[in-house]
Amino acid sequence: MEDTVFNGGFFTKALWIALGVCCLGLLWRLVSWLVIKIGPDAKEVSFFQRLGAAIIGGIKAIFSKRLPGIIGGFVLDSLLQRRLFKVSKKRWLGHMLLFYGCLVLIVMHALHVLLADKLFSDYQATLNPFLLLRNVFGVATLVGVVLMTSGRKKDWGKVRPARLPIDALFGILVVVIVVTGFLLEAQKMSSPKAFNRMAEEYGIDEDEIKGLRWVWKLDYGVAFPDLKGEPDPDLLEEGRGYNEDYCVGCHSKPQHAFVSYPVAKAAGLIATSTDAANVDKGLLYIHIFACFFAIALLPFTRVFHVVADPISLVVRGAASSAPLSKAGRVNRRALAMDACIRCGLCDFDCSVGPIAKWMNNQELLPSRKVQATRLVASRSEIKAGQAERLAVGAHLCTDCGRCTDRCPVGLDLADLWDAGRGDLSSKGFPAPAVWVKEEPAIAWAEALGAELGRVPPAGPLTADRHQFSACVQCQTCTNVCPVVANSGEDRVDLAPQQVMNLLRLGMNDLALGSKMVWDCATCYQCQENCPEGIRVTDIMLELRGAAWRQLGPVRDRRRSI
Amino acid sequence: MNSQDQLWDVAVVGAGIAGMSAAIFAASKGLSVLHIGNGSGLVFGSGLLDVLAVHPVKDSTVHEDPWHGIELLRKDEPSNPLALVGPKAMEVAVNQIMEALGKAGMPYEPSTTNHFVPTSMGTLKGTFGVPTTMTSGAKAFENKWPTLLIEIRGLREFSAAQMVHTMGDKWPGLRFEKIEFPDSKGVFELYATHLATALETNKTRQAVIDIVRPLIGDAKAVGFPAILGLSESTAVHKAFEDALGVPVFEIPTMPTSVPGLRLKHSFEVAAAAAGVSRRVQSVVTGVKFDNDIATLTLQDATGNQEVQAKAVILATGRFMGRGLFADREKVREPLLDLFVEQPESRENWHSRDFFAKSGHAINRCGLLVDSKWRPTDAFGAVVWPRLYAVGSILARQDWMRQKSGSGLAIGTAWAAVSAMSDDFGSIGGV
Repeated sequence: MEDTVFNGGFFTKALWIALGVCCLGLLWRLVSWLVIKIGPDAKEVSFFQRLGAAIIGGIKAIFSKRLPGIIGGFVLDSLLQRRLFKVSKKRWLGHMLLFYGCLVLIVMHALHVLLADKLFSDYQATLNPFLLLRNVFGVATLVGVVLMTSGRKKDWGKVRPARLPIDALFGILVVVIVVTGFLLEAQKMSSPKAFNRMAEEYGIDEDEIKGLRWVWKLDYGVAFPDLKGEPDPDLLEEGRGYNEDYCVGCHSKPQHAFVSYPVAKAAGLIATSTDAANVDKGLLYIHIFACFFAIALLPFTRVFHVVADPISLVVRGAASSAPLSKAGRVNRRALAMDACIRCGLCDFDCSVGPIAKWMNNQELLPSRKVQATRLVASRSEIKAGQAERLAVGAHLCTDCGRCTDRCPVGLDLADLWDAGRGDLSSKGFPAPAVWVKEEPAIAWAEALGAELGRVPPAGPLTADRHQFSACVQCQTCTNVCPVVANSGEDRVDLAPQQVMNLLRLGMNDLALGSKMVWDCATCYQCQENCPEGIRVTDIMLELRGAAWRQLGPVRDRRRSI
Repeated sequence: MNSQDQLWDVAVVGAGIAGMSAAIFAASKGLSVLHIGNGSGLVFGSGLLDVLAVHPVKDSTVHEDPWHGIELLRKDEPSNPLALVGPKAMEVAVNQIMEALGKAGMPYEPSTTNHFVPTSMGTLKGTFGVPTTMTSGAKAFENKWPTLLIEIRGLREFSAAQMVHTMGDKWPGLRFEKIEFPDSKGVFELYATHLATALETNKTRQAVIDIVRPLIGDAKAVGFPAILGLSESTAVHKAFEDALGVPVFEIPTMPTSVPGLRLKHSFEVAAAAAGVSRRVQSVVTGVKFDNDIATLTLQDATGNQEVQAKAVILATGRFMGRGLFADREKVREPLLDLFVEQPESRENWHSRDFFAKSGHAINRCGLLVDSKWRPTDAFGAVVWPRLYAVGSILARQDWMRQKSGSGLAIGTAWAAVSAMSDDFGSIGGV
């Protein structure tokens, strides 16, 4: 039947259009990997340098001793999803079922003319094991979709990873294709029209067909409306004989289609009316157009990751043994935009995840930051409020590297964050540690005083002056400070004990703009060793918060003038 | 186990030499010990352990034999805590701590008498326990070896020039050279600890050795400020001696000194080795006593917690350690409001002469204890049967002038823990 439809040319044309859209989309995405500029160093490399880096990188990967390792990595990371397995067993199972369900259905069913027919000499869609397996993989695909989408709200709560509306479309299409497939199969099983067409094709005459109809009603579930009661045993026996002669070579018992057959039985009552209404044709159109639509959409949705992710994982394998060139790194960042599937697994382990919830700023989450990084890199102007939120997200990151470790598609997120901060910085949103150091502490104190018309209190700090009064200026904090020890000629402006002394004297405004506050490595050596029990490191961190809150507005107002 | 879920045998409050020693002694006796302290004056130490060098204070009589000094003290000041500990117990206690510190990475020269160690002020300090990195200094002075002192530009707390200036008449072969520490060009102020950690790297150590070697000349010993390594001082010291071919010694510098940090670190290692559980960054803000159990309130950055113990050792020090607090009227013990023996009125705290050799009455105020080292009220009645007090918080001593700080801390800790464990034995606590 498909052949007849395809011969009609309509589906063929539609297929070619879908494939054409798909190919153009693929080309567009591939070119974007060489065009998207993320990070300040991206401006330093040309398109052709990037093209060269991609080609040379590819050739090097193929003709190097690392190839077995890269192939091994591809098998483990892409085909077996080792990284996802480590992170989430449930998602791994869902992903495997969905991917391999789809893959087998595409190879054995959708492309059976091209592949299955050639691989198996006796291939028939209606024969076992193909009949059984098609149902098995159809169910596997659906279970995969359910596993991948269930429990998300519970997993994430209020703060959710980034999602695009189009992401859901592909999942819906997969469900539509599989469900219409089952319905189509069920409809065919119960359809007298389909039986009659086959009988006609095989030139079965009037006498033979009587018994055969009974056999197909009882054993195969065809819903003949005129056959009621019990058949004549002889007629049935005769029919079974014809069945052996004509049918069983191509038809296994439909009960093996464990999803479609029960549906067929249930739908048997309305089979004639569905026949009359050409429901089979309608289902077929939905089934096939959904497939075509999916093909056309492939480069434009998350599903494109089936192309981008294996490449990303191979690049990761290559980069782990030899560092990438600058152009290679820039390419990798652009590739990351497509390779990121917004699965949100990075968010689970994010060091600042709790802060994201507490601040109610989702821009702190790595899954969001991937898109934000692209936004900052691509647009010349970002909305003011949004830019600030993005900047907070970018600069609160502790660079702990857990997201990079976790990423199931092997993105170098640490490098991406670094590049993103560079872009933010060049757009006027550097880290507080950078802009505070643009002016000496005394200048900040004066600016703050000038705005408020008096020397302002920088507090409240949780440690009050009473606690600082215990400070005997013994310099233990400075003595054990690795930052002071290693700052060399370009010294910190105030040593830790001098910062504490300012606080002791109530000159908090001078401490706020101190470079020491922002250079502090928070190793807690000072606090551990302070003979007077002053919480030096905690206070440094508090001063950072106070500086950001108080000096930030001063800076903003100055910039706007 | 969390410290608040357990009934401890002993809670030790205070992280100075007295508190650390008491915790180590109690743990070595098999008691479960929770040690609580926030900040520690240990970093102000010089690394030298004094037992008793001066008695009587008013005559500034310096003793070479500390045990003889304590015998004399027993006659003259029978209620001085050092006299109550006695020479025998003191010797056992101090040697035990020196051994523990040695195992924890800060070895001391075995000792029976006081040694006279040159200090950065150009004075000689009579002391009992000398870290092995400093012993050659005492020998060099004793034998008047020609000696080279190394001064480092930018290290403010040490002046070899001053030492030579002050000690030159008594020590003719003493001279100094000023050197530039590697990679310190253009740096105005250097910190001893940074130099000490830098010297733990082969590269910097070799660079310093290369600078110093041509300067040795006829010197039979070389003295450095105490910067030869922080946690690996023994190895760094040995590397210098091997490379320079003469005895090398450290000179204790002004607080906060590197040996002070070593002492703190080594006490912490020794306490851990003895099985002491520690709550750092916590302050004890209150103690309540029931019949058998003391409940201590601990405050840290996260809030308050309570812990319970069968005995409490108070080793909170004097004014600087906040074990004592002086207001306009009188001296108080702020944690438990214990009775503090002190002059009648503030007028009598100090004598008219600020530099009076016999010291000031305020220096000898403090807690009174019974024969088992338990604080008493004004009438000699014990406050709580298993509350003990040790170290400089005790009355009737002047450890600074007597040069007996470590001995006072370690000796009283030993004596109190002995009394306490006898008590535990009699009530069948352990």
